[in-house]
Formats: sequence, C-alpha cells, structure tokens
Amino acid sequence: MSIKKDNNWEPRILAFCCNWCTYTGADLAGLNRMKYPENVRVIRVPCSSKVNPQFVLRAFQKGADGVLVCGCHPGDCHYSTGNYFTRRRFMLLQRLLEYNGIDPKRFQAKWISGSEAAKFRDTVAEVSAQIKALGPNNKFVGAHYDNTVMEKEAEGGKD
Amino acid sequence: MAELSEAMVQDLIRAEAKKALQTGEVSCVIGWTATRFEDRTKPYFAQTPEECDMLIWNRYCINGTAKFALDDRYPDKKFGIIARGCDTRAINRMIHDKQLKRENLYIIGVVCDGKENPVCRQCAHKTPLVCDVMIGEPVQDVIPESRFQEIEAFEKLSPDERYAYWAKQYDKCIHCYACRNACPACNCIECYADQYRVGWQGKAADREQNQIYGLTRAYHVGDRCIECGECERVCPMHLPIMRQTRKMLKDINDLFGPYECGLSEEETTALGEFKTADPDEFM
Repeated sequence: MSIKKDNNWEPRILAFCCNWCTYTGADLAGLNRMKYPENVRVIRVPCSSKVNPQFVLRAFQKGADGVLVCGCHPGDCHYSTGNYFTRRRFMLLQRLLEYNGIDPKRFQAKWISGSEAAKFRDTVAEVSAQIKALGPNNKFVGAHYDNTVMEKEAEGGKD
Repeated sequence: MAELSEAMVQDLIRAEAKKALQTGEVSCVIGWTATRFEDRTKPYFAQTPEECDMLIWNRYCINGTAKFALDDRYPDKKFGIIARGCDTRAINRMIHDKQLKRENLYIIGVVCDGKENPVCRQCAHKTPLVCDVMIGEPVQDVIPESRFQEIEAFEKLSPDERYAYWAKQYDKCIHCYACRNACPACNCIECYADQYRVGWQGKAADREQNQIYGLTRAYHVGDRCIECGECERVCPMHLPIMRQTRKMLKDINDLFGPYECGLSEEETTALGEFKTADPDEFM
C-alpha cells in the first residue's frame, strides 16, 4: 500500500559531481553504455569544493538515503587546489555526522577522474548496495519528507 | 612578585581604566560590574573616569567582553577592553576574520585564574595573548588532558544512542540564536540564519530546523572555535553546544596535527588551508 511496506524499496542517493572530472566520467559511462543502479541522482557542481556541508544536511533532511560527493583526484583540480579543501572539509563532516548518529556509509566522497567511467559505475553500485543494506534513512529527515509520517497520514484516512 | 589578590587586581584594573579614559584615548572601558546578587556580575561600559570605580574583578566575572567591540564596527575612538586569556583569543579571532581592527582596541589584559564557569576547567590560556597593558604575572600555558575526555566518552555510545541524545537536545532548543549572538567566532555581519529566502534556514523551532541550525553552526564555527564556552553559558535551555564544536576540534587535532585557534592574528584556520600530504580516505 505504501512505500515502506513495499519490498521493492530503492535508496535515493544524491551525487554531487564536479563538472571537470566526475561529471565527465559519468558522461563517459553513459557513452560506453555502462549499466549502473538508477538510485543515484547526479547534480553537477563547478567543483567539489562548491559543495557546502549544508547541502549534505539538507539532502538528508529532504529524504535522501545517501549522499555522495565526487571530484577530481587531489592534484588534478581544474582550479588547482579546490579538492584539497574538499578533502579536509568532508573528512570532518563525515566524522561529525557519525558523531551525530549517521552511518558514515551514508555520506561518502570519492575521487573519480574524467576517464574513470568504470570507477564511477563501480562506486555507484557499491554505495547503492551499501545503503540498500542499511535501509531507509530515518535520521535528520524532516517531517514533511518522512515516509513513515506520510504512511500514518494515509492510514488515518485523511484522503 | 607575590601573587595578587582579587582586590589588588580590581584596584589595578580601575587604575588602568581610569588612566585610559583620562587621556581621552578610549571612549569606554568594557568590564564587569556588581549586580544585586553576590554570585552574579554583568558586563559594564565605563564611560567616565568616575564610572571606573564601578568595575569589579572576582571569580564570578564570567561574561566575555570581546564581542561587545563588534557593536560599533566603525568607532570614533578606541574601545578599552578588560580581557582575560579567552577574551584575547576572541579578539584575535575577530581580527583574523577582519571584523575588528587592532588599532581600534586598547586591551587591558588580566591574568585569569579561572572563574565559576565549568569551561574554565579546560582553559589552556590563562595569560592574555595580546594586550597593551598586562595585570598579573604570566603563567605557563598548559593544554589540560581533560580537553576531549567528554567527547571520547560520548563517541563510545552506539550510533542510535548518539542520535537519540542529540535529537532530545534539539527538541529542547528554542531557536533563540543566543549561542550565535554570544559567540566570538559567529561574527558574520549578516548571518545565514537571518536570511529569509527559502533554503537557508527554516525559522520554526522544531527538531528538524534545530538540527540543521545546530549542525550548520557547529560546522561553521568548528575550526574557528576558541573554546570560551560562551555558547553554553548563554543557552537558556542548557544545551551542550560545545560537545559539537569540540568534536570538530578533536578531529582536526587527530587528522591534521595539534590545533588551537585564536592564538595570534596571523594564523590560518584548519579549513582555510590544506596540506598536500593530508590523509586521504576518499581514494
């Protein structure tokens, strides 16, 4: 009846992909007709250091089950140093989220270059499988986006 | 030199404040004054030499004095500030963030022996780090071993316990922004939390918005936190706010080497710099 009782639950994963490497890599994966899970929603950002930690919090709040931040390998940044900042930033954010009770697998960062289409495919498949095993995220989810709340409302016969 | 008693320090503070006001160098001296409660003091702005006799010094002088300098970002005259170690770190913080100018400040540094404030037990810098005149004998800076004890104990809980703990804390939060207003690292002219456009910060005082606010603030302040404990002191709901910011500091210490912030005007912050040799977990 509702989404939760459905055994076909699929995680929703948000992937922030840097324009210069990972997005190109994902593009290449598409050109090569590689198959990867459809759970991932790609958002193109100019650089992985454009990703504000608040974007990640917002994603969880709005019902994402996992967040992936991808960028160029350290040293390869189009803007020279952007991903070095990303690295520091998200190592700390991952730990802060873990400290607040979120499994570190739900928030991951990966370096994927423009030619690593296969790595993009493998990363998405791996993260997707990990999050599927963890189940739906119920932490930091806003009431409006919480499936369980919607379920209760539906059962309460509001409609 | 023999150790100064509280009363002697108080006399010296009054004398220095008077001197600064008499020369006309400063427009006011920010310190503490008595209230009708014996164990409470409040911040005080002495604007004439006579008013300097209202300034006091005792173990209940716990309010931070530095943040008041931001009330007038373009002052005609200098501010006089009576500053303990933590206040001078706050001043360094704000100067480094380009919110204050050193030439607008006249700092009367006082060596502090710890106040009736729980955070003073973890104080590493009792001696003022920057000042124009210093009252008292400088003491050795020692980082206490108990700095991250609380964090380490909390990390041992299970993820669900940790989430439940913070969810309870954020249920209590009334979204009053007192922590932001008192924090010397929260010195942005316009705070993101005051933005009214959708997507920045919801204004409801519910768990959802409080979590976003609490974590965003913890992260934003995290690497610039000077551990003065003002956020916890002013919180009307007694939330353990420093548990979040200290966690950031602990991770910075673990990952990027020993780190303390606000020790000088020229320092860089942990998230404002990088090393190519930083540990990489994202391969």
